[in-house]
Amino acid sequence: MREGVCVIYRKKQVIPTLFILPSILLLGIFIYFPLVQNFYNSFFDFSVFSPTKEYIGFAAFKYLLQDKVIVIAFLNNIKYAVVSMVFQVAFALILATILEDKLFRRVAPALRIIYFIPVMISISVIALLFGFIYNPQMGLLNSFLELIGLENFAIPWLGNATASIYAVIAMSQWQSIGFITMLFIVAIQKIPKELYEAADIDGAGKVRRFLSITVPQVKETMFVNTLITITGAMLVFNEPYILTNGGPGFSSMTLSVHMYQQGFVKDNMGYASAVATLIFALTAIFALIQIKVSRTGKDE
Amino acid sequence: MKKVPGLLVMLLIFIVILAACNADKGNESANSEDTVGNEDIVEINFFHRWPNEPRKSFYDEKIKEFMDENPNVKINVDSVLNDSYKEKIKVLVSGNKLPDIFTSWSDSFAQNLVSSNKIMSLNDVISNDKDWSSKIIESQYGGFTFDDVTYGIPFTVDGKAFFYNKEIFKENNIAVPTTYDEFIEVLNKLQEAGYKEPLVEGLTNTWAISHYLGTIFDRVVEPSILEKDYNQETGEFTDAGYITGLEMFQELTTYMGDVSTAIDHEAARNMFGNGEVPILYMQFAEIKMVEDIGDVEIGFFNFPEVSNGKGNQTSLTGAPEGWMLSKNAPKEAVEFLKFLTSEETAFEFTKTAGQLNAVKGAVTSENVKANSLEAYDIIMKASSTAPWFDNAVNINIADIFMRGGQELATRQTTPEEILKAVQQEAEKLKK
Amino acid sequence: MTKTNTNEEYVEYNRNTGFFKSIAKLNLHAKVSKNLILLGLLFLALLILYPLFWMVISSLKSYDEIYNKVWSLPTEWHFENYLTAWSKGISSYFINSLIVTLSTIVLVVLIGSMAAFTLSRYKSRWIDFSLIFIVGGLMMNPQVALIPLFEMLTWMDLINTRWALILTYVAFRLPLTIILIRAYFLSIPKDLEESAIIDGCSEFGIYSKIYLPLSIPIIMTAIVFTAFFAWNEFLFATVFIDSDVLKTIPSGLMNFRDALRTDWGVLLAGMVIASIPMIILLILLQKYLVRGLSEGSVKG
Repeated sequence: MREGVCVIYRKKQVIPTLFILPSILLLGIFIYFPLVQNFYNSFFDFSVFSPTKEYIGFAAFKYLLQDKVIVIAFLNNIKYAVVSMVFQVAFALILATILEDKLFRRVAPALRIIYFIPVMISISVIALLFGFIYNPQMGLLNSFLELIGLENFAIPWLGNATASIYAVIAMSQWQSIGFITMLFIVAIQKIPKELYEAADIDGAGKVRRFLSITVPQVKETMFVNTLITITGAMLVFNEPYILTNGGPGFSSMTLSVHMYQQGFVKDNMGYASAVATLIFALTAIFALIQIKVSRTGKDE
Repeated sequence: MKKVPGLLVMLLIFIVILAACNADKGNESANSEDTVGNEDIVEINFFHRWPNEPRKSFYDEKIKEFMDENPNVKINVDSVLNDSYKEKIKVLVSGNKLPDIFTSWSDSFAQNLVSSNKIMSLNDVISNDKDWSSKIIESQYGGFTFDDVTYGIPFTVDGKAFFYNKEIFKENNIAVPTTYDEFIEVLNKLQEAGYKEPLVEGLTNTWAISHYLGTIFDRVVEPSILEKDYNQETGEFTDAGYITGLEMFQELTTYMGDVSTAIDHEAARNMFGNGEVPILYMQFAEIKMVEDIGDVEIGFFNFPEVSNGKGNQTSLTGAPEGWMLSKNAPKEAVEFLKFLTSEETAFEFTKTAGQLNAVKGAVTSENVKANSLEAYDIIMKASSTAPWFDNAVNINIADIFMRGGQELATRQTTPEEILKAVQQEAEKLKK
Repeated sequence: MTKTNTNEEYVEYNRNTGFFKSIAKLNLHAKVSKNLILLGLLFLALLILYPLFWMVISSLKSYDEIYNKVWSLPTEWHFENYLTAWSKGISSYFINSLIVTLSTIVLVVLIGSMAAFTLSRYKSRWIDFSLIFIVGGLMMNPQVALIPLFEMLTWMDLINTRWALILTYVAFRLPLTIILIRAYFLSIPKDLEESAIIDGCSEFGIYSKIYLPLSIPIIMTAIVFTAFFAWNEFLFATVFIDSDVLKTIPSGLMNFRDALRTDWGVLLAGMVIASIPMIILLILLQKYLVRGLSEGSVKG
């Protein structure tokens, strides 16, 4: 049997092609083709069950510019990006530095896992859980606020036009902070120890060590994390879809939820494709920067 | 080199999984062809929209019962919830994979399905079995009959009305309002009596908004204009009555409280059931659910008359739901349909689910409580019915109204702005 | 168990050098700030753990107690909530998730490692192109492909089957998996395979008897990442599967919530059941996860 396996393929050219073909096919069919198809779809008007597609030229893109919901959604995506930058890049870096500090080496391993737990939990579980937390009647958040005498701040979080998007964003921070922190921890562990030792000899304080060694050394990771965070913020779907479905009104709408609503609820598949094209354009810019930067990183 | 067995095991797992997937697909797919080895078995694909209890178990039991009686029939059942159902059935119609028997709303929803030419005409079935078909209340066939051809068998009947807490009304000496102005007075009195949000509603469920708007428009807009506007080809939504209607809804949201945009209808129902709020706009299908929560004494009144309203002042919002067959359904599916709409099944159904049905003699004091009987009476006596708004108009129009309704409640928009957006959308849809 | 050891060692190795010096330097001031930071860290841990703890506790309560006594322990422990959740639908979602996740893992690892084998051992213009093609797949996001995939799967008659999820999951997981495994394959010394060729082994033999067995650690990483993705994916699972009997946990939970009405205890029990496998995976396999993060640093 063992010999049998060994002698089946003798020709050297067959194996490499045969080995890579499934991957190329799968990527071609399920990733690249849909991308092209989506561009194509953007120029047509069609619904799920219409047998034909009607060519409409750039009409969908023109409508994109007039659509008020797009503006609201895009602003919400920006809010998402900004808040996530503060918590998931700035704060996560500080958190990672603290966890990697020798003062906390006894508690750090446990804390790392704890912070990472929400990352592993399905978003639908987390969104349902936060539904309970934000619940205006028995919600944990409001009853906690009442407990500490701040009942004036207890509002129906997800039903308030101003607060709802922030309530959604807050949940995302809760879930993702452990992930980015872990990425930073990994980066910090790669920093050569001699650098810190030299700084110790110089008698540098913790803050200076952080600013003059840690930050420059993890610069590339910081950059990558920034891009991950921003791209993620441009794509965010699950959180607002499950928690608020974009409501009340359109106040917590994001681009992806708008796309889903247009395509699968209102059956305007063509317009939804145009929205998807917009999303792609936004993320492609960041992805290109990411690739460029990671290339220059490797040259070092 | 000793890892080869590991690889083989992995491959084996892989093959088993593939096999499992294929086997499952075979069982659950919508094709009735794979009757391998036993050609006498007829498969019926049955699709409904109640994956939730108690109806899911009810239908599962009925299927089993029918299969036991007819050993040559195998019924494959599938179910998805409300909104997905609307979506799914459209896809199935277009993809030529219509299930043999499935549920459908009446009027415009049914009409859309019928226009696909894939629905079985039931005229012969109805006239060939009078014993069975005459048991169904004649008036309810209307919503499934187009150009004198009946395409559906009505089964459940429903209506939307204000449920009120009789005790609270009595305590505060409040009489049931008969006009909209009286209704507002009642709400004010209730607020004075300490009920901060006397008319709570779960506005995160946008259909709850559509039910309000549909009824209000039916009261304030002329029926001929409504008919024109609800039709996608002719809809304009330029009547001033829509502004009046949206203003009325906005006024009502001030009695629903801030909490309303953060909760769903079910939470609102629980509040009503626990006696925390005095009035809630509900479907008769919910009576049993309210009764199950607590012992609130329930009364009903229809959406009150609107003085100067140009529409229908006494219509009841609500439409029957029923069963349809695919054109290619086997004759056993017809038998299954008769079984589902028989007096015995209907009686048991209402007993289990609490929802009223359109089969004569299947709603009695033996299977429902007094409240439901009263509701049944209201439905039967209704002068006319208004359709569910979200089913009556194009979803794009309905969505603007429904999201707009949420924004009215959070004071982010005005009725004029909403109507402007609706008019633009209507213009677009006409093309 | 083994994983804690490795983890401790990891930190130990990193931090050993400056440890004694820092002890000497500790003064009162540092102690106070250390304790303050520690307090902050613990508070953050509480912020993350408490909602999860609440979820577990509340899953053992009745509706009335969840609603009226948000903070208290159950007066009566409703363990039967778990049985109810399991029998009322979670079991079928769980099995679907298991089938989809396992199939995705097997396919991703098999197809991905085969492609990585070709990419790491051969050089030609076509292979360079393939590498770019595969890496480029990282840039694509599910949102943009959603509508074309929906059309395509409908056309292939795969919509509303588990294949719809398995195939798309595999395609979207392949790029990262291939990159991870290829990097590992490149580090395998050439003389090993030369001896294999002398032994009379073919290309396939080299792949299956040398590369695969030697790469178990990175394959574990790929498995953890893929499992995490496939178990928690929400968007495709919602759009491509309608039928309740085929739903996976993330989308099934939404049906579960609608179906249960106020049976919150049962819903919460279902949420706990849905989370357990991934938390176990995290605790058992965290070292593989960290490795993947340090080498892939792309969000799942």
